[in-house]
Amino acid sequence: MTSNRAVAVVCAVVPALALTLGVIVFDRLEPRILGLPFVLAWIVAWVLLTPAFMWVAYRSVRA
Amino acid sequence: MNAAIALGIVAVVVVATIALGLRGVRGVTMDPQEYIVGGRRIGALLLWLLLAGEIYTTFTFLGAAGWAYGRGAPAYYILCYGTLAYIISFFLAPRVHRIARERGYLTGPDFFRDRYDSRLLGALVALLGFVMLVPYVTLQLTGLQILLQIAGFGSINALAAVAIGFFVIALFTFVAGLHGTAWASVAKDALVLVGVLFAGIVLPAHFFGSPAGAMDAVLRDHPGWLTIAGPDVPASGITWVVSTTVLTACGFFMWPQSMAAIYSARDEDTLRRNAVFLPFYQVMLLFVFFAGFTALEVLPGLTGPAADQSFMLVVQKYYPAWVLGIIAAAGTLAALVPAAGQLLAAASIVSKNVFADYGIARDQAAQTRTTRILVLVVAALAFGFWAVEKVTLVGLLLIAYNGVTQLFPGVVLGVTARRPPAAAVGAGIVAGVVVLIDFAATKTGQLWGINSGIIALVANVVVLAIAWPIANGARRTTAA
Repeated sequence: MTSNRAVAVVCAVVPALALTLGVIVFDRLEPRILGLPFVLAWIVAWVLLTPAFMWVAYRSVRA
Repeated sequence: MNAAIALGIVAVVVVATIALGLRGVRGVTMDPQEYIVGGRRIGALLLWLLLAGEIYTTFTFLGAAGWAYGRGAPAYYILCYGTLAYIISFFLAPRVHRIARERGYLTGPDFFRDRYDSRLLGALVALLGFVMLVPYVTLQLTGLQILLQIAGFGSINALAAVAIGFFVIALFTFVAGLHGTAWASVAKDALVLVGVLFAGIVLPAHFFGSPAGAMDAVLRDHPGWLTIAGPDVPASGITWVVSTTVLTACGFFMWPQSMAAIYSARDEDTLRRNAVFLPFYQVMLLFVFFAGFTALEVLPGLTGPAADQSFMLVVQKYYPAWVLGIIAAAGTLAALVPAAGQLLAAASIVSKNVFADYGIARDQAAQTRTTRILVLVVAALAFGFWAVEKVTLVGLLLIAYNGVTQLFPGVVLGVTARRPPAAAVGAGIVAGVVVLIDFAATKTGQLWGINSGIIALVANVVVLAIAWPIANGARRTTAA
């Protein structure tokens, strides 16, 4: 595995873990963020962050 | 009068969308290559819409709200799995595309047939895809039934509504191929966006001041509704949510129509860029949850599959008929466009990988005829499934995903250089399906809180791993 490939894999694994194991760890109501229960805010935040991570993965694979 | 207004709007929108679909296919000659994979020329924007066409279905529109209404926080899995699926597709889809382009695949099962050099495996995968698309089409049909009944203000009974839905779906499928479906997705997504924002923002604002207000009200009446809860709640606890997220993320691109969408991309880079940006599309689901939570407080008491009607009933009760008509039209397209793609996929895989590959339908005319007949067969089976099993929309999707995800090991290993023999892949798939049938027979959807599809997938992989060296050995013995 080249170092670029390793960067891409790390960029993919972080949001993947956040949306699976992270949901187990942060399954709680408080603190509520913009009225959302914390676990839902966590999920939404990671859905929005995933394109940022995958964009870095994309750039590193193409480089 | 109300029924005439609401149903009239639905009818106008459906006719306009069919016209748009026909415009999209005008001037394109319809050989199988064009009909099924859009001539492999589908660029980034249209591909985005085509893949997104799988996101905004009846399932998201009614089913996700129904689960937020009926079960609460476990519905959050729907927000996670698509995102996880795009992460997986970033690595998997470009490889599948490259192989498909080099080897000229048309259907999803073509991948298995060629990569594992087995006509039998191709046929097995085609039949599994065919069977698993039935509950998926049932889902869209059930959605149409709900929408037509609500828009009809009780003037249409359930059976008549399903029959109309059946007719409209079959008609739409026959007039538009994949290209037509992709263009119809444009109209669908625009309208669904309007519907979702209305249901997720205007509804909670009307009754509770804001979506946050709606959630406060839910928490007052149902404490614990908005968090997933521990593993000691097997039916919908955290173990179930995470295992279902993983299962459905692995299965997301295993559908024959999704494989065909991967083939139809212009190049590998288009697929990678799509994988990067598609998660943004998922965020809309948040508003669907808001709609479900609002309905839970405004119109409590719907149980079982009735929960799928939740926010539509609120719109019917508290808003003018034209508003209901527009929302119902959005939902109708969300059922119709994906259903057409699913029917076409189910019919074309069996037509190609069973009938044509086994020499039953030899020439192109015979294949086209077989495909058309099979479209009607799938639609009829979906109709039958609707009649005998009353399942929630999410329940229907999970049945379908349990089965189709069994193809995941074969696709992942299929892009590698050292592939297992076809017999091992086939044995794994059969083992997975047997486990699923056992679960279905005992009416339990889980084991220790883990989604049964994951258990079946584990059985699949274990059998594959054991059969791999054995089948290799047998092959060597035969060769010697």
